[in-house]
Amino acid sequence: MKILCDRTQLQEAFAIVSSVVPSKTTKPILQNVLLTANENGITLFATDLEMAVKVQLEAVKVTKEGKVLLPARECAALLRELSDPTVTLDSTDMRCRIESGGGSFVLLGENPADFPEEAKIKPGRGMKMPAGRLLQMIKETAFAAAREETRYAINGVMMDFGGSCLRMVATDGRRLSISYYNLDGGKGEFKALVPVRALATLARAIPDSSKEELTISVGDKQIEFAFGKAHLLSQQLESRFPDYEGVVPKAADTTVEINRSMLESSLRKAAILCSDDLRMVRFEVQESALRLTAESNSRGRADVSMDITKKGAGGSINFNPDYILEALRVCNLDSVRLDMSDDSMPAKFTLGESFTYIVMPISGT
Amino acid sequence: MDAFYAAIEQRDRPELRGKPVIIGGENPRQVVATASYEARKYGVRSAMPGVRARQLCPQGIFVAPRMAVYVAVGQQVREVFHRFTDLVEPLSLDEAFLDVTGSAALFGDGPTIAQCIKREVFSATQLTVSVGVATSKFLAKVASDLRKPDGLVIVPPGTELKFLAGLCVGRMFGVGPILKAQLLRAGLQTIGDVQQQSRIALCTAFGRDLGERLFVLANGLDDRPVVTNRAQKSIGAELTFSRDLTTREAARAVLRQLADQVGRRLRKQGMRSKVVRLKLRLPDFTTFARQQAIAATHVDQVLFGAACELLDATWRGHPGIRLLGLTAGNLVAAGGSEGVQRCLFDAPVASGKSERLLRAMDAIRDRHGEHAVRHGSERSGTTPFGPAIDSSEPQLLGWRKFPLGDR
Repeated sequence: MKILCDRTQLQEAFAIVSSVVPSKTTKPILQNVLLTANENGITLFATDLEMAVKVQLEAVKVTKEGKVLLPARECAALLRELSDPTVTLDSTDMRCRIESGGGSFVLLGENPADFPEEAKIKPGRGMKMPAGRLLQMIKETAFAAAREETRYAINGVMMDFGGSCLRMVATDGRRLSISYYNLDGGKGEFKALVPVRALATLARAIPDSSKEELTISVGDKQIEFAFGKAHLLSQQLESRFPDYEGVVPKAADTTVEINRSMLESSLRKAAILCSDDLRMVRFEVQESALRLTAESNSRGRADVSMDITKKGAGGSINFNPDYILEALRVCNLDSVRLDMSDDSMPAKFTLGESFTYIVMPISGT
Repeated sequence: MDAFYAAIEQRDRPELRGKPVIIGGENPRQVVATASYEARKYGVRSAMPGVRARQLCPQGIFVAPRMAVYVAVGQQVREVFHRFTDLVEPLSLDEAFLDVTGSAALFGDGPTIAQCIKREVFSATQLTVSVGVATSKFLAKVASDLRKPDGLVIVPPGTELKFLAGLCVGRMFGVGPILKAQLLRAGLQTIGDVQQQSRIALCTAFGRDLGERLFVLANGLDDRPVVTNRAQKSIGAELTFSRDLTTREAARAVLRQLADQVGRRLRKQGMRSKVVRLKLRLPDFTTFARQQAIAATHVDQVLFGAACELLDATWRGHPGIRLLGLTAGNLVAAGGSEGVQRCLFDAPVASGKSERLLRAMDAIRDRHGEHAVRHGSERSGTTPFGPAIDSSEPQLLGWRKFPLGDR
């Protein structure tokens, strides 16, 4: 195999693909990236057997077709360090010579025939949407998924498509994030629990506010995202996702409109003086103000107020400030809405036209 | 105390005196709690499986432990300690650090107090105690172990390095068989050999934390104070089974019992736990320990739920389970004003009703014993200890045989 290609393009593609490469594995061959050159250009392919990423590059001159396995870590580092605009890859017998500028490097690979093959999923259910919109939805949900390894039941984002609406939902059992996308005349339905890691990898490959079309195809056990020249295939998580619709509060005693940036900065200040044992900020809804207080026995007290508009009875409720700050970070609205009822019932934050966030409070026994 | 449990048995049962007595280990899968000095001659040690102890010492007399007695005697001993100083840090039932710096004017210097303690412990319990007197906790502990039984070893101030130099590296706490082998391979046989090494050399060879600790211990630089009421860090319970568990249901039944026990102790002590740890040992002694963070709780059901998640994540296709343990860690006081993070999907548990239910169950158990009230789920199937509810338990049937107003 022999190719000549643009170094920056190859480096970017390589970076996307190699984010799948496992750093620790019982199958060392997975620490390689498979490069295939044919008349259409080249493809880069990597997998950890739970997910796989493939990226195609066309702006390549293929002198000789073929396949080679490149050690991911070394190759990525090398492409980063090289400065010449183009790079030549030339392989014979599991070794690949990389030439660029005045440098020449030989990478020792393994047999491409031993590398796992690309899995195909049966096309059937699926949908199309703008890539940038999916990126936004991933940002609005993935942060709320459980991080503890053992809570695998909710260690993913639920993609629930039906009635021409895609709902992405993530929860760690204490807060829950839902993002919606309405299609015009979409049809079919599916439910897939997608590992957070797959979505994070996908998010890295999508430029902000990209209008390009992204295709989602859902098989029995896998889900595939195809976008431009990139494909990501992931196993679905097999566990049961909790009944999320049941926990969304339908009515509220108190509704508050708050300036987002004010809330964010006030909450950050109050959070400094939370106690270590129990991170908690008290939200007290007064006549036209929201008062945030926090207290730590060993460090001190915080008391911050801001203007709000209020409907309903008012009252107070305690939250873990981190839960709210994480959500505000991905919110673009100027003003957010808080619906709350009882200090031990879930509260609902409306953080976007199609972005709802449910948080359970902290309350006494 | 010297061979504490065994010494108590020999004191109370004259026929055991001078004989190899082994406390615990009577069942082949139980471990030895304590061996008398006569039994130790055969190589019997604490924490050794009963089978092995029997091989080493066939003529050993195996005695079932009487924990209540040992606890009472331990209390007597501790009372003696408290006559000399209020700074007593118990290490276990029969071991403690005493800081007697402030007691010198009243009772004399360290060696004098040590003599008094030995005398008074003996007159109170007819048992011997070994004492080490030194300027740090580590040295005092090493010194007390050196001339057991009935020993008294004094390390005068200024002679610490010399005292340590001649000892084997295994005397340092935290140096178990594996680390000891590593040290020996590195040519370090005595603590003196370690003293010859620079701090940097030790850190390079054994990693920063371990190297630092070896340096500190070998050079007698231990400056930890004697702490009287160490905050409890965790509450746990574990069970070794007479037969290996083979089904998930059986394992869950055990976890249910352990969670009940641990939850009950949390509530008794007014604590909540923020971490659940599962310990699982396979028949081949491979041991797994996994933990999970949870919202601060003292509710059995929450502990049980987390333990089951850990079980599913840990026990995957292994043949059997020899031991299961459940520990509640990262304890925080359940202060009145403090709250609990509520959860979205297990609301029933967090409700005031379940709280009241737990209180009621605790009250029943306080009054009528641990088995007075049980979960309905325990009725079906069997536990590893036999049928979940066996017929040997008292049944409320008898009085019906004497119907009122018979005549």
